[in-house]
Amino acid sequence: MSDQTIARTRPVGAGLGVFLGLTLLGLLAIMWLALSIETTTFWTANNIANLLRQTAFIAILAIGQTFVIITGGIDLSVGAVEGFISMIVALLLTNDLGFASTITGAVTISLLIGVGIGLFHAFGVVQMGLPPFIMTLSTMYALRGIGLLITNGATISITNDAFTNFSRTSFLGFPWTDGSWFQIPSLVWMVVLVAVPSHVFLNHSRWGRYLFAIGSNKEAARLSGVNVKAITYVAYVLCSLFAAFVGVLLATRIGIGNPTQGQGDELQSIASSVIGGASLFGAVGSVHGPVIGALILQTISNGANLLNVNSFWQTIITGALIIIVVYFDSLRRRKR
Amino acid sequence: MTHLNSPATVEPAAGAPILVLEKLDKRFGGTHALKAVDLAFDEGEIHAIVGENGAGKSTLIKLLTGVHPRSSGAVYWRGKAVPLANPHEAIGLGINAVHQEVVLCPHLTVAGNIFLGDEEMRAGLLDHKRMVRDGQKLLDDLGFSLPADVILSSLTIGQQQLVATARAERRGAKFLIFDEPTAYLTRQEAAALFTLIRRLKANGVTIVYISHRLEEVFELCDRVSVLRDGALVGTRLIGDTNEADLIALMINRTIEQIYYKDSIPVGAAILETEKLSGDGFRDISIKVREGEIVGLYGLIGAGRSEFVQSVFGRHPASSGRISWQGRDVSIRNERQAMDLGIALAPESRRDQGLCLNLGVGFNLNLPIFKRLSLGPLINGSKEVRAADRQIRDVQIKTAAQTALVSSLSGGNQQKVVIGKWLNHGAKLFIFDEPTVGVDVGTKAEIYRLLASLLKEGAGIIMISSYLPEVYELADTLHVFRGGSIVASHNHRDASHETILSEAIGV
Repeated sequence: MSDQTIARTRPVGAGLGVFLGLTLLGLLAIMWLALSIETTTFWTANNIANLLRQTAFIAILAIGQTFVIITGGIDLSVGAVEGFISMIVALLLTNDLGFASTITGAVTISLLIGVGIGLFHAFGVVQMGLPPFIMTLSTMYALRGIGLLITNGATISITNDAFTNFSRTSFLGFPWTDGSWFQIPSLVWMVVLVAVPSHVFLNHSRWGRYLFAIGSNKEAARLSGVNVKAITYVAYVLCSLFAAFVGVLLATRIGIGNPTQGQGDELQSIASSVIGGASLFGAVGSVHGPVIGALILQTISNGANLLNVNSFWQTIITGALIIIVVYFDSLRRRKR
Repeated sequence: MTHLNSPATVEPAAGAPILVLEKLDKRFGGTHALKAVDLAFDEGEIHAIVGENGAGKSTLIKLLTGVHPRSSGAVYWRGKAVPLANPHEAIGLGINAVHQEVVLCPHLTVAGNIFLGDEEMRAGLLDHKRMVRDGQKLLDDLGFSLPADVILSSLTIGQQQLVATARAERRGAKFLIFDEPTAYLTRQEAAALFTLIRRLKANGVTIVYISHRLEEVFELCDRVSVLRDGALVGTRLIGDTNEADLIALMINRTIEQIYYKDSIPVGAAILETEKLSGDGFRDISIKVREGEIVGLYGLIGAGRSEFVQSVFGRHPASSGRISWQGRDVSIRNERQAMDLGIALAPESRRDQGLCLNLGVGFNLNLPIFKRLSLGPLINGSKEVRAADRQIRDVQIKTAAQTALVSSLSGGNQQKVVIGKWLNHGAKLFIFDEPTVGVDVGTKAEIYRLLASLLKEGAGIIMISSYLPEVYELADTLHVFRGGSIVASHNHRDASHETILSEAIGV
């Protein structure tokens, strides 16, 4: 092979294969096309905006989840963090605690608590040597319990309209195919806000490289001068921070705080990650992959609703899709 | 047992061929691992297969035991063509292998392993008591002093190997392949194993014996076949050959062509240790100067690896002094060691050295991403150029710098490890078994790399269990035994035999 060929290729070799990316986009296109033909309600500015809003939550969770998965770990607590933080932000906003009860204060504190949870996870994994599965499973249970203790099982309604209006807002737009105006939901911009820096972080910063190195071989990474502990902390903190951010966004969308919110989202985020090409063995993953994965999952659920498909089928289809995607991916890997 | 093989014995290698290979061929992608091998194994013989690392021995075993399918050619078992498509079929025929790296279940008991897949039952449930009793009887019969009821992982690797042999024996093996069985065995264990192999032979079992230790081949075997670069270059009756003959067949070149040593002027001291003691080693005093290779020779477990790991900051020493370029230092962690300018190419490339499922360029640049970054972001073109230059300088054979390291040959993987540290600009290189699992051609290239490191004023500590290598290359050779240095030599100032006996302690 000539030097030129070598020079032109990208040096990471660990991100999402272009092949898989195109396959997923193709799959998405086929699903959208089929739904547009089959139903009159799918391809409307309203429904697509709605679909994107629903996708936003899982997409952000899945990006954080992917960081952890790339290091070879897993975070089962993201759904619980999301619910817990929705309660925290609701509590802060409905009480009169000065700065902490302003929107800026409440959101900042909520995100900081997310960081704290992430630090705790990393502490368990790095310092106590617990398996990530166990560590985050424990906090998943614990956070739900703590939340219920604090609220006594009650749901907190958020009365701050400025806060709850956010998820209904939009920014910019473009003419839709039927001539109506498509307003890009603010929640979609929130995904962009998270995804773009995440992509730069993962693919163009050295800490991103180190995540891959740790997921591939901790020992080799350590012997190469990578601060494995610090990078592991970064992965878990980012994951919990993103989950906390989703908790805040969720509170704006539904206007209530309840620690039982977000149940099952941890599995949806893992599924999005995996459909998006991440490997649970570590060292493989991207930022756009889980976003597309989340979009595919939401499309299944949205489309099934519009087609009046029994909702039980949605979960069956999701399960089947995960097996198919992972199987094709393992075929591709075996060939190499 | 030593008189069993007087050269004069014209003991015909037993009966008719039991297993015949015809133009057996295997390719892994672009690698031609086995080239049209024609070979017949006679029933009841002990047939040695020798060859350098990478000559195709392990590939041959994997084809015979059905682990890999062959690319072309035919295999006849007792005159009948067999596909050998999977391990199950091979075991069914009576073909078993005892591997160098034990493939057993470490969490089960010894008896549990012996009976794995063929458990003794009572009323539909496992009969643990009987398996322990029968397993113990089997072990006793074989002359192994091993308890049947302990967990396998509590045994040494050597003992585990004996368990694997007992298991194969119980399965009624007719054709038993030993892959480097004595690599981790003590002398007594090896003697027990040889007795067992001879008994198996007496019972009509055909044995294929693979070993680097030619003296064992001459002690034990009836015939010997030599593989080189995947091709069979000769089969000899043991009485018709000698060690020099076999070595010439194996490497097809002279010693001088492999070991490359320039006369490089020795400079200032880089690293000195004085009475350094720690877990697994004590009172080690060595000195490494610019332009010299310091060899550490000894058997596995002699404390060499523990010592260098300590110098590299893994397990800080409990007492003694380390001085770096004339200045006393204490090295408490690997980072400190690396910042000083120490690089470690670890013994186990796969476990410690490389990120196998990541790209070649990625691995090469891993220690220097900081240097390739502008602020927090990596300069992509700088990164590509750095990897590119290193691939060319170290002559890594790879399709692209994004190719996964796992797709490279062992030798090229080793070059990635070395290239990585060259990138890092280290001053002292510690190579722990740098040429394990590497073929002769790549070995020669690695030796040249070492020489080029020396020319640039680096110093090298080389750990090796392969005596010819340290013997020919090391300017100073320290012999380790039981955690201490028992002897030190200058370049080639003692014979192989002397050094070997110092290492073994006889």
